[in-house]
Amino acid sequence: MPSTPTASPPAAPQAPISPKLIAPFVNSVRSVFSTMVKVESKVGIPHLKDVPAPSYDVSGIIGFSGDIVGNVVVSFQKAAAEKLVSAFAGASIPAESPDFADALGELANMIAGGAKKDLGVNASITCPSVIIGQGHHIARLRDVPCIVFPCQTEFGNFAVEVNIKEVQPGAGRKEK
Amino acid sequence: MDFSTEEIYTLAETIWNSTLGLAIEPDSSGAFGTHPRSTAACIQITGAWNGAVMLDCPAEIARLAASIMFHTEPDRVTLTDVQDAIAELANMFGGNIKGLLPATCYLSLPAVVEGADYSARVPGSRLKNRLSFLCNGHVISIAILERIEPKTAAA
Repeated sequence: MPSTPTASPPAAPQAPISPKLIAPFVNSVRSVFSTMVKVESKVGIPHLKDVPAPSYDVSGIIGFSGDIVGNVVVSFQKAAAEKLVSAFAGASIPAESPDFADALGELANMIAGGAKKDLGVNASITCPSVIIGQGHHIARLRDVPCIVFPCQTEFGNFAVEVNIKEVQPGAGRKEK
Repeated sequence: MDFSTEEIYTLAETIWNSTLGLAIEPDSSGAFGTHPRSTAACIQITGAWNGAVMLDCPAEIARLAASIMFHTEPDRVTLTDVQDAIAELANMFGGNIKGLLPATCYLSLPAVVEGADYSARVPGSRLKNRLSFLCNGHVISIAILERIEPKTAAA
């Protein structure tokens, strides 16, 4: 029988996010865009996303489970996404094409996968979820800071939102 | 792994009834995905079986669910309350679907999105089943997707 949730808790104090969780994502973004998309990406100064502001028009969400839990979102302006995805695929892919979400999901998957290797933790990453539409809001863990990295490329801007936390080894897994 | 429509409907009925105290009915209108504003939550399952459970709720039901869960008037629920409510419902679906699986699996945290005129997809997966049901005249849908495993190279 499903459990009944309690009343919405007050905002939990946020635990500081460990820098060692952040650098792998910055490195992975640079590496993926350089090697797979063949564009240079400039990663700007990270900042806290402390309000539920909308992401850009197109987002790829990758979940982590295991010793690290949370989500990483790679969010693009639509025009930038179309150009970057097309450069990645080696062919023009408009946002309306079913291949667009696949390619964008793959980019997000590579970024998360590359970071996971560097994190050196026992964690799984999920299939990407891809959201296409202006003004969408993506929820985040409330007890963990959401760090946003603004990124620039010659094709336009995107952002990487890292909202993850370490759990005690073994405690992050809900085993059957 | 297959998930029958009857199994999914029974889960939906149990969750909606026990958590929200709301009744549901089967839907045959085909009106899925036509609401102007909605909240969707996707919870992923990894391990012996890899896939995702996606719950899609129109804004009116998401707001009602949040008001019931958090004992707040519907016009006072915040965006965060709505997202938390749908995340919790998706978590329940995910947990119960996981219970139908034969071996060790793990649940991700839910990814929740709210907005108007957006599409949500899980690339690299195939739709195993989708059920729509009615609550207070609004159409809600549950989709179960299975990851398409890449073919391994021949030796």
